[in-house]
Amino acid sequence: MDLILFYLRKLFTILKNEVLVLPSRVVVVLFFLLLLLLPVFTKDPYLLRIFTLTSIFAILAASWDLLSGFTGQMNFGHALFFGVGAYGAALLNKHVGIPPWGTVPLGALAAVVSGLIIGIPCLRLRGTYLALTTLAFPIILMGVVFAFPGLTGGELGISGIARLAGSRVIDYYIAVVVMLGLCTIMWKITDSNTGIIFHAIREDELAVKAAGINTTRYKLLAFSLSGFFAGISGGLYAHFMRIAGPSTLEVSMSFQVVIWAIFGGIVTIYGPVGAVFILFPLLEFLRFWQEFRMLMFSVVVLLILLYMPDGLFRWLRDKVEKECPRCKIRNVAMRHTCRVCTAPLD
Amino acid sequence: MERWKRRIFILAMGFLFAMASFTVALGQEIKIGVIGPMKFVQGIGHWNGATMAAEELNAKGGIQVGNQKMKVQIIQADSNEFLNVTDATNAMERLITKDKVHFVVGGFRTEAVLPMQDIAMENKKIFIGVGAAHDELCLRVAKNYNTYKYWFRGSPFNSSFLGRTSFIHLGTVGAILKQSLNIPKVKVAIVAEKAEWTEPMIKAAEGAIPSMGMETVGVWRPSPVATDVTAELSAIQRSEAQMIFTIFSSSVGIPFARQAGELKIPAVQVGINVEAQKDGFWQATQRMGNYVATMNTYARGVEYNELTKPFVDTYVKRFGETPTYTADTYAAIVYTLAPAIEKLGTLDPDKLVAFMENDVHKAPSGVVAYLKDAEGRHLHELRWGPGYLTALGVQWQDGELKAFWPNKWKAVPEAPEITYKGIVPYKIPPWMIEKYKK
Repeated sequence: MDLILFYLRKLFTILKNEVLVLPSRVVVVLFFLLLLLLPVFTKDPYLLRIFTLTSIFAILAASWDLLSGFTGQMNFGHALFFGVGAYGAALLNKHVGIPPWGTVPLGALAAVVSGLIIGIPCLRLRGTYLALTTLAFPIILMGVVFAFPGLTGGELGISGIARLAGSRVIDYYIAVVVMLGLCTIMWKITDSNTGIIFHAIREDELAVKAAGINTTRYKLLAFSLSGFFAGISGGLYAHFMRIAGPSTLEVSMSFQVVIWAIFGGIVTIYGPVGAVFILFPLLEFLRFWQEFRMLMFSVVVLLILLYMPDGLFRWLRDKVEKECPRCKIRNVAMRHTCRVCTAPLD
Repeated sequence: MERWKRRIFILAMGFLFAMASFTVALGQEIKIGVIGPMKFVQGIGHWNGATMAAEELNAKGGIQVGNQKMKVQIIQADSNEFLNVTDATNAMERLITKDKVHFVVGGFRTEAVLPMQDIAMENKKIFIGVGAAHDELCLRVAKNYNTYKYWFRGSPFNSSFLGRTSFIHLGTVGAILKQSLNIPKVKVAIVAEKAEWTEPMIKAAEGAIPSMGMETVGVWRPSPVATDVTAELSAIQRSEAQMIFTIFSSSVGIPFARQAGELKIPAVQVGINVEAQKDGFWQATQRMGNYVATMNTYARGVEYNELTKPFVDTYVKRFGETPTYTADTYAAIVYTLAPAIEKLGTLDPDKLVAFMENDVHKAPSGVVAYLKDAEGRHLHELRWGPGYLTALGVQWQDGELKAFWPNKWKAVPEAPEITYKGIVPYKIPPWMIEKYKK
C-alpha cells in the first residue's frame, strides 16, 4: 500500500512539476488520453478507421523526420521503407502463414535491410543529389514488383492477407498504442546522445568527423532506424488494408510524407505526428465539398507553409512557450522569469 | 365504461402506431452508393449512369418493396483511386457506415477495388463492380463464397474475355484484308503500352496470331504517356505489317492514331484503344484517327436488343456523349438490383444474392447471366458469348464511331450467326487499298 502511495505521489509530483508547467506537455498528455479513450465514447467504424490509418501514417511521418529532419539525410523515397515493410509482411503472411504479430516486425527488419542497401551507396551524397537518388529507389523496387508478378502480385499487389485483429476497436488500439510507443521511442532517441550526434551530422558533418565520431556508422544507423519504424507502419498498413500493392511505393506516397513533416515542423518528431493528425482527417472532412476537396486541402497546406515556414506546431509552441536565454529551459509565455534559473525571459 | 375507455385507448394507440409506421415508410429510401474516380471520365460515367437510373426509377414512383414504393437515392463517393488507394477505402467505409447505403455500384482500379470489396463484404453489402475487369475479383467469390457472395461483376466482362474478343476482332479484320486485298499471309505488329496489364495480352497475342494464319512481325512498347511515336511507326512501316494490334488504355492512343494517320502508315489498327472509344477522339486526333478500330460497349445506332437504343439515346441527350462501359451503373441498378428487389420484396442482401446469382436478364449491353467455375461454384462473373454479352468492334468512319462487329459472327461453326442492328461493314483505309490492291 505504501509503495502504491509512493508511486502515486511521485506521479503527482511529475505531473505538477514537469507536465502542468508547460502547455505543450499538457497537450501531449491530453493527446495520449484522447486517443486511448476515443473508443470509450464512440465505436463508429468510419471514425476508428480514419484514426487507425492516421496513427499508421504518423509513424511513417515521424520516421522520415528522424532521418531527414534530425540527421539531414534528405530522403525523397521514403515510400521504399513503407513498401518493403508492407510487401514483406504480406509475403510472409500469404506464403509462410506467419500471423501479423510476427510479419509486421519481420517486414520492418526487411525495411532495415533496404535502409542499409540504399544507405551505403548514398553515404557520399548530400542535399539535392541524395534526395534525387533516394527518389529512384522505390521506383526501382516497383519495377522489381512488376518483374515478378508471380510472387508480388504485379500491379494487383498481394491481397487477401490476414486482418490485423478481429475487430475495428482492437485494430485501432494496436495502431494507436504502437504509434504512441514508437513515436515516444523516436523522440527519446533524438533526445539521447545518438540524437545529438544526428543533429551534429546535419549541422556540420566535417566537424563531427573531426571530433573523432564515425559519421558513416551514425548515418547508416539513422537509415536503419528510420527504415525500421517506416517498415512497421508499412506492415500495419498492409494488414489493416489487407493488401500490399504498388501504390505503397508510389512517388506520391514519398512526397505525402514530406508534406506532412514540413507542415507540422521538421526536427521535432511531434510536428509530423501532429500534422498527420490534422491533415489526414481534414482530407476526409473535406469530402462534403468533393469538387474542391483537393484544392481546399492544398490551400490550407500552402497557407500554413507561407505564414508558418517552420511548421504549424513549432509556430504554435513558440507562441505559448519561451526558451530561457540562460539555461535553455522552456517556460510558459506568460512568465517573466525562468521557472528554473529565474533569469528574466523578456 | 372503463372497458370501453381501454378499447378506445388501444385503438387510438394502434392508429397512431400505424400512422407512424406509414410516415416512416413514406420517408424511406433505397440508398445506393456510387463510388468511382469522380474527377475522371470513368467516375463521371459511373455517376451519369446511376443518375439516369435513379431518375428513371423515381419517375415511376420508385422501387416496389413488398407493399410500399421506395424512392432511390444515389450517394456519390469520390474514390480518388487513381491517385490514392487509401482514400478509396475510406470513401467506401464512409458510404457504408456513415451514409448507410443499402447497395454499392462502381469501382475501377483493381488494386483499389480489392480492399473496397473487402469492406463491402465485411458489412454484407451487395457491391456491383462496374469498371474493374480482373478475374481475381470474382475468383474470390468461388474461393470464399460465404464472405464474398455479395460481390457481382456489372461491367465489363473479365480480362480473359476482353482478350478473347479483341483477338476475334483481329481475326475478323485479318480475314477482310486477306480477302479484299489478296494478301496471302497478313503481317501483324503488336503495339502495347509499357504497362503490366498488357504483358499477358502480348503473350496471348503472340500465340494466337500464328494460329489465325497470320504472322507477327514484332512487338513495340511505347510509354503509356508518349507524345511522339514516329520511331515506332517508322519501324512498323519498315516491317511491312498490314495490321497493328493495339493494346492501349492510356493517352498514347491519341498520338499513335494521329501520327499513323499523318504518315499514312499502310496498316490498319485493331485491338484495344480506350481513347478511341471516346467521342472526343476525332477532334483529339485532328481527324487523323479515321479507320482506327477498337473494342467498345456502346455505339450510337447499334442495338444489342430493344433496351439499347432508349438507353444510348437518353444518355446522349442527357449528357451529350456516347456512354462508356462505366455508365453501366445504370444497368446494374435498373436491370439487376431493382427487379430483384421488386421480385423478392426485400432489401435483405442474402435473399437478393440467392436470387441474383441465378437470374438471367436483359440489359442495354446484352443478356446478363453469371458464370460458375469448373467445380460448379458461383463466381458472379459475367457470361460472355453469343446470346449473352459480346461487346462491339467499332471503327471511326469519317467522324462517326460505327460498329463493324459482330457481323454474321459465329462463335463455333454450328452456332447461329450474330449481327446486331446498326452494324456496318468494316472499311479499309484508301491508302491501304492503293498500296495492296492489284
